[in-house]
Amino acid sequence: MRRLHIKPLHLVVAAVGGSLAFSGVAYAASLGLSTNKLFAWSQTLTKGTCNQTSPTADDTFVQQGSPNSTAGGTATTLTIKPTAGSQDYAFIRFDLSGCSLPTTAGADSAVLSVRVTTSGADTISVFPVTSSWSSSTLTWNGVSSLTIGSTATGTFSASTTGTKTVTVTADVDAAIKAGTLWGWELRATSGTATIAIGAAENGTAGNRPSMTLSYEK
Amino acid sequence: MKRLTNILGIALTAALVSAGVAAAASLGLTSGKLGAGSATVSGCTSSSLTATRNVDNSGNVTQVNVTSVPQACASETLAVTLQNSAHTSLGAASTTVGTCSGGCTVSITGFGTVSAANVTAYALSLTE
Repeated sequence: MRRLHIKPLHLVVAAVGGSLAFSGVAYAASLGLSTNKLFAWSQTLTKGTCNQTSPTADDTFVQQGSPNSTAGGTATTLTIKPTAGSQDYAFIRFDLSGCSLPTTAGADSAVLSVRVTTSGADTISVFPVTSSWSSSTLTWNGVSSLTIGSTATGTFSASTTGTKTVTVTADVDAAIKAGTLWGWELRATSGTATIAIGAAENGTAGNRPSMTLSYEK
Repeated sequence: MKRLTNILGIALTAALVSAGVAAAASLGLTSGKLGAGSATVSGCTSSSLTATRNVDNSGNVTQVNVTSVPQACASETLAVTLQNSAHTSLGAASTTVGTCSGGCTVSITGFGTVSAANVTAYALSLTE
């Protein structure tokens, strides 16, 4: 009959094994796993800036008095006029494709800057445009087919010449997620004066529209 | 001498087994707790999901959207923590994943006033 020999090494293994088993159970008990965490992860964001100047700007103004004119597309200033029956609206947008932002990115902050070159006691309101347009083809009659927000993103007073800024963070954030920024319509919501702002084609760089943009992706 | 070794080995084994039983008793383990622990092996997804956020015009986070959440995660709790560069929480919120066909987009609100510019990471978790 063969005898069972238990060597010290066997006992060490048995002891360690038993200890580990009990430790595992003890951890499970101490974690209180009555609610089970199934999955956890993190997502790191990259921050950056992509400021816009005249090379990526497209702008025009449309004239109620010349409803089929596209002349505003090549003008060096954009007129905004509140006169009933003879209104002028300006449109400005920027091509953000050079920023290489995916639709999962977002704007942390965005500020539109325009330079008033002819002042007047008007309040200019900035409305978001979310459908496509081009300065080479947009006319007064074409405006009715655009999708334009009914609530102004911001306003500025044109009572003095100089740079005016409007925070447009929410609009740009939404545009990044939509894939394209179609910019803004600028029109006078109070006042009677005809004012002008510099266009992207303006001979003085400081008069041209621009936009600062800080983003995450 | 060999007989003495065997006797000592058997005695030591008995002592270790007794100690193990005593340890289990002191932990106060019940079969119910062990069952709860084993349930963690089933998850509704094993893939990292993508989160985006919306901001108001002041640049504060208004909601976080988590896309392509599997349908299997319906009724589970999706929690999001907005973190800064030091991995400190700037705000946290959670919601229950609803039922939907295909991948769900889950939107979470209620982070308080958190500037998106300060958020450098999202920490997300799904719990049942």
